[in-house]
Amino acid sequence: MSAIQYTKRRFEALRRAIGGDDEEESAALTGSEESVGVHLQLWLLVGMVAFPILVAVVVSTKQQGIVTSLPDLVPGTYAVENYREAIVDYGFGRFMWNSLLMSVVVVVGKLVISVLAAMAIVYYRVPYKDLVFLFVLFTLLLPVPVRFIPLFQLINDLGWGNSLLAITVPYLASATTVFILRQHFLSIPTSIVETAKLDGVGPVKFTLQVLVPMSKGVLVGVSIIMFVYAWNQYLWPLVIIDSEANQVAQVGLQLLQGDVQGGQLSWSLVMAGSVLTLLPPLALMVLFRKPLLETFAIQQK
Amino acid sequence: MSTREIFDGRLEAALLLAPTLLVSVVFLYYPTALAFRTSLFDSGFGRAEEFVGLENYLTLLGSSAYHSSVVISVVFAALVVAGTIAVSLYLTFLIHEVDTGQGWYLISVIWPYALPPAVAALVFLFVFHPTLGVLTGPIEALGLEVDWFNDGPQAFLVVLLVAIWKQIGYNVIFMIAAMKNIPDALTETAELDGVGRLHRLVSVYVPIMTPTLFFLVIINTIYAFFGTFAFVDLLTSGGPANATNVLIFDLYREGFSFFNFGVASTKSVVLFLVVAVLMVIQFRLTEEYSYYGA
Repeated sequence: MSAIQYTKRRFEALRRAIGGDDEEESAALTGSEESVGVHLQLWLLVGMVAFPILVAVVVSTKQQGIVTSLPDLVPGTYAVENYREAIVDYGFGRFMWNSLLMSVVVVVGKLVISVLAAMAIVYYRVPYKDLVFLFVLFTLLLPVPVRFIPLFQLINDLGWGNSLLAITVPYLASATTVFILRQHFLSIPTSIVETAKLDGVGPVKFTLQVLVPMSKGVLVGVSIIMFVYAWNQYLWPLVIIDSEANQVAQVGLQLLQGDVQGGQLSWSLVMAGSVLTLLPPLALMVLFRKPLLETFAIQQK
Repeated sequence: MSTREIFDGRLEAALLLAPTLLVSVVFLYYPTALAFRTSLFDSGFGRAEEFVGLENYLTLLGSSAYHSSVVISVVFAALVVAGTIAVSLYLTFLIHEVDTGQGWYLISVIWPYALPPAVAALVFLFVFHPTLGVLTGPIEALGLEVDWFNDGPQAFLVVLLVAIWKQIGYNVIFMIAAMKNIPDALTETAELDGVGRLHRLVSVYVPIMTPTLFFLVIINTIYAFFGTFAFVDLLTSGGPANATNVLIFDLYREGFSFFNFGVASTKSVVLFLVVAVLMVIQFRLTEEYSYYGA
C-alpha cells in the first residue's frame, strides 16, 4: 500500500471520527447496556482530564483563590476584577500581545518559506533536490533544547538579544512543515499538474491558482500546529528575552509564579493568567479541529 | 513522479529553497556545530576560552551527579511513555466503542494538545499544593501525606503526572486514526468468537496498531526528554535534592545558573546523541513497516 493510499484511508477514518457519522457504526455490534458503562467511564475520564483547568477557571473568579477543599469550588464574583488586574497590572495584556506577535510572525514566515521550499522540491526538475530535502529533514535532529546554549551566544553576537527577531527568525525553517507540504503536493493528481503545464502556467500563477486553492485544509492545519508550537514555547524566550516589556505569556506565568510563592500575589490572579494563556491555542484548536486532524494524518505517513 | 516536475529553472529553484536553507544553516546547523566545538573548550562568562580536548566529556563520565541525572531522565521517560500510551490507548478504545457523541468525546480528550506546558505546571502546582491544594485534603484523607516540596519521589510523581496529562491529547489524535482503520470485519469476527471487550483491544487492536504505537513511543520519548522543561522549572526547579533534575533542566542550570558554557555544550552534545539515536530507530521502524504494508 502506498503512502498516499494509506494517508487517504486515514483521512476517511478521521472524517468519520470527527464528522460524527455515528449511525453507520452499527449499534448492533455493541449491546446498548454495555454502552452505558462505556459512556460512564468516558464521562469520568473526560472529567478527570478537564478537572485541573476547571479548577483554574473557578479560582480565577474568586477573591483570594484559597480553595482547600472540593466544596470550595464554587465560582466567585471577582472574575472581571481579577482578569482586569492580570491584564493591566500584571502585564498580561503586554505578554499576550508579544506572544501573539511572535506566533503570527512564526506561522506566516514558516508557511511562506516552507511553501516555497516544498514547491521547489516537488515541482522543479533540478539536480540534488532529494539531497536538499534530506538536509532540511535532518534538522529534526536539532530541536531547540539541543542548541539553545550556542544559539544564545549567536543571537547576542548578532545583537538580536531581547528582541522579536530572536524569538521568531530561528524558528522559521521547519522540517515538519516542508515535509507535510511535500507529502500533500505529491498527492495532488498529476493530471492537474500536467494540465497546468499545457496551459503554460508559470510558477507564480501555478502556486496561487492551483497549489494554494488545492491545499487550503493542509495550510490551515499546518498553521494551527505551528501556532500552538510557537505560542507554547517557554525555554527559548526564558533565556533570550530579559525585559518584561518584551516577554511572552509563558514566561509571564513564571514571573507570576515567583510572586505567588513569595506571597505577594493571590492565586486567583495566577489562575486568571493561566486561563488567558491557554485560551488562544485552545480556541484555535477547537475551531479548526478538522483540518488539524487531517494534517496530522499526513504527518505520520 | 517525473510528471510533476513541470518547471526547470535552476536559479528559480535555488531561490525558492534559499530562505529555508539559510535559516537552517545559520540557526540550526551552525549552533549545533558550535556546541560540538565549545564542548572541547573550557568556556564561561568573563574568562578566556581554553582548549581542553575531551576533558569535559571525561568530567561528565566521572560525575555521579550527571549519572544520576541520566538515570532520572531515563526512568522518567520510560514512565511517561508507558503511562501516556496506556491511558491514551484506553481512552481511544472507549471512544471507539461508543456509538453516539464520538466527535464530542474526541475533542474533550484531545484538547490538552493545545495546553501550554507552563499553564499545565501552574495549575498542577495549585491543585496539588501541599498546603493549599484542592486535592491535598482528599489525598491526605486517605492517609497519605502530601509533601512534594520536600519529598523527592512525590515531586517526581507530580512532574510525571503533569507530563502524562499534557501528552494524552497528542497520542489520542494518532491512536484514533489507527483504530478507525481497523477493518470492521475483524471486530465482528472477534465478537462472534466471543472475545471480550478488553481482550479484543489487547489481542486484536494493539497488534494491528503496532506501527502507530511505535511512532508514539519515539515521539513520547523525545517529549519526555525535551518537552518537559517547563514542568520541572515551574514545579520543582530540579529538586528536592535533585530528584527531578532531568537532563534538559540540568543543562539549563549548567548554562544559565553556573555559566559553564563548555560543560553545557558537552551536555548539549549528549542530548543531541539521544535525539539522533531515537530518530534513527524511528526511521528504521518506519521503513520496516512500509515493507510490510507494500
